[in-house]
Amino acid sequence: MGNFLNSNDSLEFVKDEFRKYYKDNSVELPDRFGRREFAFVLFGGKGIIRHLGFEKINQFTDFLKEKTPGDIYYSSAYYQIPDAPTMQEKNWMGAELIFDLDSDHLPNAEKLDYTQQLKMVKKEFFKLVDDFLLNDFGFDEKYIELYFSGGRGYHCHVKDPKILNIDSSERREIIDYITGRDLKDSLVFHEQVTDRKSYGNRSFPSGKTLKMPRPDEPGWRGRVSRGIIEMVNEIKKSDDPIEKLKEYGVKKSDAEKLLDDLSEERIKRIKEGRLDQSKTIRKFFLNSALRKTAVSMSAGETDEPVTCDVKRLIRLPASLHRKTGFKVEKITLETLMEFDPLRDAVVLPDNPVKIELNQPFGITIKKEEFNLKQGIQELPTYLAVFLIGRKKAKIIL
Amino acid sequence: MVELSLLSKYPFLNASKEYIKDNNLSIQEILDDPLYERARIIGVERVDNAFSKRDVGERSLVTDSDQIMELLSYPIARMIAVCIDDIFFKRRYALGEAIHAYRNLINESPLFLINITNEFKINIKFDKDTHKISIYFVDYLHHAPTRYKEWKMINRGMKNGYIQISHKDLARIIQEALRTRINNELDERKCSKSVYETFSSDIKRIQNSVMLHRKNIEAAPIGKLDNKKLPPCMKNILAAIQAGENVPHMGRFALVSFLHSLRLSNNEILKLFSTAPDYEEERTRYQVEHITGYSSSTAYSPPGCDKMRTYGICPTEEIDELCKKKRHPLSYYKAKWKQEKPKK
Ligand code: SF4
Repeated sequence: MGNFLNSNDSLEFVKDEFRKYYKDNSVELPDRFGRREFAFVLFGGKGIIRHLGFEKINQFTDFLKEKTPGDIYYSSAYYQIPDAPTMQEKNWMGAELIFDLDSDHLPNAEKLDYTQQLKMVKKEFFKLVDDFLLNDFGFDEKYIELYFSGGRGYHCHVKDPKILNIDSSERREIIDYITGRDLKDSLVFHEQVTDRKSYGNRSFPSGKTLKMPRPDEPGWRGRVSRGIIEMVNEIKKSDDPIEKLKEYGVKKSDAEKLLDDLSEERIKRIKEGRLDQSKTIRKFFLNSALRKTAVSMSAGETDEPVTCDVKRLIRLPASLHRKTGFKVEKITLETLMEFDPLRDAVVLPDNPVKIELNQPFGITIKKEEFNLKQGIQELPTYLAVFLIGRKKAKIIL
Repeated sequence: MVELSLLSKYPFLNASKEYIKDNNLSIQEILDDPLYERARIIGVERVDNAFSKRDVGERSLVTDSDQIMELLSYPIARMIAVCIDDIFFKRRYALGEAIHAYRNLINESPLFLINITNEFKINIKFDKDTHKISIYFVDYLHHAPTRYKEWKMINRGMKNGYIQISHKDLARIIQEALRTRINNELDERKCSKSVYETFSSDIKRIQNSVMLHRKNIEAAPIGKLDNKKLPPCMKNILAAIQAGENVPHMGRFALVSFLHSLRLSNNEILKLFSTAPDYEEERTRYQVEHITGYSSSTAYSPPGCDKMRTYGICPTEEIDELCKKKRHPLSYYKAKWKQEKPKK
């Protein structure tokens, strides 16, 4: 097997395809163009080149033609002096709100293949945009821009002028809200004293019940209730409820106990908003509903309590991703559900080129199914670039 | 025209400034004229109370004269606070005014509070039928004390960008907005010579007690921490927190995780912070415990110099020779210890 990591020929081939792309297509430049910092990763270069600023658009396009970078980023922030070497000297003036969802950060993502990961992350993305940004935060659609990242995720840019100035701890609050962090369960459920007649013909010995919020209550209270009801329905409808519960991370023995407890009557009561189950069951419902309805998000804060999002770099729309050759493609809210990155973001040509594949690989791309064997073969350019980017192939000249 | 009795209770309102203007009162008159002797005495009282009791204090506001004196004492107190020229003191004074306002505000009607929020450009919705108050989330983020768990946005109901809050919450939000506003005003203004001369003995007296207060705190040794060995970045952040300056979250995070790595207990860290003029035990404890992993089960590790620089909290102008050799604030601190050993 050849050396797939450092093949200069492969890099040159990909770079050449990128060059042709940038010659025929224009990228989408951000507003306040002159106030943004730009950053690039060059083919064969080491690391990222940062702190570049461009005054005029033609300087930027000249740069693209001359260098043909593999990745292009710009700062979500705009600065007085975008090309100053330190953050202080740049003088921050504001920043869009950026959400970056990447399959890397989804639970169990490593077990899925690329296509499945993309599907899963899209589901999260839809939840973020529809349920949180439009509904809870009430952002106007005209301020929301959606992109496929070209890699394994999606980006959402919120450009509402009202949020450009919020600082990083305020942004952190927003992320906490969306990811469901620090939800106080005593604020969601509260104990209510009841008398025994209030439940029709059934009689209850104890005078306390745990009250769930109404599903239509605003914010997380309603969201948790909706999550719980959805779950109960799923468990009830399922052919194998134990299996279903195991999916939610419940141990078999606990699942059996839980099912025993979930009598028709109980289910009915849960739907009426009463959750007077045992403490463990309550905890289980809350946690599972939380996981179900919150957005799993990267924002770089899985290991860090702060989102640096006031200063972050984001891929330039309509640029290409070095590791896939896919385009950072703009999506509308209406087309998000139908959007298929492996069809809609594949922009490189399909003329055949010869490559050597170092392992068998299967993918459906541009509606065509490829079941590739290891070895030398001819493939469309877009697929060759993708496989080289993923370090699975090298070019054969 | 807003009533004088209200203005004297809420002298920070724009209408108060107009009142003073409309009555053609000059600063010089307020400072010199025997007529306003009482306003000047109350002005000093405000400042004293803010420092010692965290509330500028309640006085009788029965007669017109009571009210005018109270109203005028507010700008006087502010001018004195500026001249005391100490960041800790200024923060403390702003807090004392804000807390005092809060204590009055909770007794006012919702509509009154909403009128005040207009002045702070806080976007509020009031439903006349249900009497429900909601606030636009961006304004909530700016002013609500979200470091308390129950103030976190996630624990509030939000719909279409509006968060429902109680009457008391609204008063608290105004308190925070007022505090920020006074802080900014105090920072922007310069001490005027005539104010300094008029109140010089009070100013010096208070400066002395502030200094004493600071000395007491700083002298207290905290566990094994040696202040002098802290790298410049941590020294700066600690000083800023102790002065009640608005330290960004990342700064607090860096310092707390740093101190935690030096094996300071949560209580010791809290003690360091307790000197801040706006120190609130519960809220600070929540933050500290979150970072040190007591309440969140993950203890975060302190950021290295590279990251500190990216976040703009490495004071690049102040770094010393040792900094240049080190890549982590922790190794700086440890190296300082080693430097000292041979001397013993
Ligand atoms: S170089 Fe490192 S240790 Fe020195 S001040 Fe900066 S961040 Fe702190």
